Amino acid sequence: MADTVSLLAVFPDLEPAANAIDKLRSLGLSDGQMNVISGIPITEAMLGRPRQWTNVPRLALGGAAGGFLVGLFLIFTPILYFVPVGGQPQIPGPPSVVVLFELTMLGLLISTFLGVFLDSTFPSYRPMEYVPEISDGKIAVLFHCPQGKQEKFTKAMHALGAEKVEVAEAQQL
Amino acid sequence: MAEMTANLERSHEEHLREQHLMLDPKPRGEMNAMVMEAMHTTSWKFWVVAVILGAIVLVGLFGSWGYMIAEGLGVAGVNRPSYWGIFLVNTVFWIGISHAGTFISAILRVFKAEFRRPFTRAAELMTTFGLVQAGFSIFMHMGRVWLAYWLFPYPNQRQLWPNFHSPLSWDLLAITTYLLASTMYLFLPLIPDLAMARDRSEGWRKNIYKVLALGFRGTEGEWTHLRNAMNIFAFAIIPVMFSVHTIVSWDFAAATRPGWNSTIFGPYFVVGALHSGMGAVIMVLAVVRGTMKNMKYFIRPEHFDAIGKLMLIISMTWAYFFFNDYIVQWYGGDKWTKTLLHWHEAGPLGWMWFLMLIVNVAIPWLVLWNKKWRSTPWIVFVVGLLINVGMYIERYIIVPISLTINRQPFTWRLYQPGIEIPLSIGTLAFFILLYMLASKFVPLVPVWEVEEGQMAHSVKKFGRETVVTVSELE
Repeated sequence: MADTVSLLAVFPDLEPAANAIDKLRSLGLSDGQMNVISGIPITEAMLGRPRQWTNVPRLALGGAAGGFLVGLFLIFTPILYFVPVGGQPQIPGPPSVVVLFELTMLGLLISTFLGVFLDSTFPSYRPMEYVPEISDGKIAVLFHCPQGKQEKFTKAMHALGAEKVEVAEAQQL
Repeated sequence: MAEMTANLERSHEEHLREQHLMLDPKPRGEMNAMVMEAMHTTSWKFWVVAVILGAIVLVGLFGSWGYMIAEGLGVAGVNRPSYWGIFLVNTVFWIGISHAGTFISAILRVFKAEFRRPFTRAAELMTTFGLVQAGFSIFMHMGRVWLAYWLFPYPNQRQLWPNFHSPLSWDLLAITTYLLASTMYLFLPLIPDLAMARDRSEGWRKNIYKVLALGFRGTEGEWTHLRNAMNIFAFAIIPVMFSVHTIVSWDFAAATRPGWNSTIFGPYFVVGALHSGMGAVIMVLAVVRGTMKNMKYFIRPEHFDAIGKLMLIISMTWAYFFFNDYIVQWYGGDKWTKTLLHWHEAGPLGWMWFLMLIVNVAIPWLVLWNKKWRSTPWIVFVVGLLINVGMYIERYIIVPISLTINRQPFTWRLYQPGIEIPLSIGTLAFFILLYMLASKFVPLVPVWEVEEGQMAHSVKKFGRETVVTVSELE
């Protein structure tokens, strides 16, 4: 990345931000060289960006399977210390369903929650490229342009309605 | 003529904007500032109320609890045959209150009910704080609370073999799952608002928000992970919510006692929980709107109208389940069940039974059918309060009053609460105090969700009519 410089272009609205992404592509940047930072969730389709990969659903399924296995372990524990009670099964069916359901759901929900942390690398308190205007509704396009072409890219962003274009410096949030 | 028509259309459009928050957008920065101002503006009245509530919590909750621990469970009114008293009434009541948050946040999110947007967090906070009170009530009921760990099911040298198939284990699992799930579900959509608060705070507040916002910036990846997780939560937490109160109902229904042994108790309890929960949500919204700065912009009569409609439907559903439960038992002809039903209606506390039906059914039906009334905050506040009184009475009838009548008439004795009363007042005060304090630290309005909704709404002309339209943004 030494031969590139990171720029942050701040747009007032969605439309100019989407145009800016098209422009950056036409200037030779790949989708991997840019990122959009916004105060509300904007879908990839709105910006014409490739679909974002997320592991959250897979982690959720994994957690559900884990919870189910813990539930299975718990419902079969009476085998470890069998106390015979007349007329009652050792492993009763319907109550086992309740235990399995609760633990499966608990596993699913906890892993979903942790999935957000893992995928987003939360918590992260190191300095990052950001401007507080983003949470005021602005949309920022963060991109890496080749050294020496900074002026060209800055002009192009301003021409598309960027309110400001600055060198993105990592700062403490 | 054309000018007059244009003016009429304009005024209709203005009227629509006044009515609907989603059609009355403000710049995001302004909405952020309004929410932050609401959090930071605290009048002396707030502190007076907080100090009074704090004193009630100290004396009523912790003082009385300490006294009960020192003196033993004998200072409470629970005794043969009503071993389950107000502590369990409170447990069921608070778990019921906690249902509203999930109902509003998850079910309305799944069905894309747009009116939910400004008050999902206010409802979710109720869930978490309601479950805290329910947990307290269970520990109070235990009596020797320092031995609570005996309840944890693990094999031990005391040869208390854990039975994970017991309904009490279901309770532990269900309530723990629901408490964890609802807290996580409260936190996930809060992250972007905590980041917003971080960007607008100074000093110690900034440090707290910085830690809690986890470094969130709003990148495409962060939003994608968050949105996926919130969708999974919205769907998965609904069956968990249903399971919690169903399992609470099985604590009663699985016993072969007259009045309890009912197959319809599960859905009857769930609907009862939603009934009291929605009543509590509307009370909280009326108070938040009336006392916090800028909240009149976010919480409007349209929201009371929408929740009022839900309350009316839930009241009808509750009446249906109540009658269904009642008539089958009444028709069954079992001697002890008939005695119990007669005791409910004509016993010394028969007035409670009639009051329950009046405030849970008659009053909501008489008031909430009228759009003007159900859009008026103070009217729906009173209806919500009465419903909560009615639902508390319902649980009181189900727990200690029903326990009075059993198959051994020589044990019949009317339950007289003792220290349970200050403890109950203490838990109520603690709930309100927690909520008040949270309202000063947690952005009560999910601003990003409101902005997202405002982006999706617009007005459109169909022929001569100007109507509201919503676009599917997700």
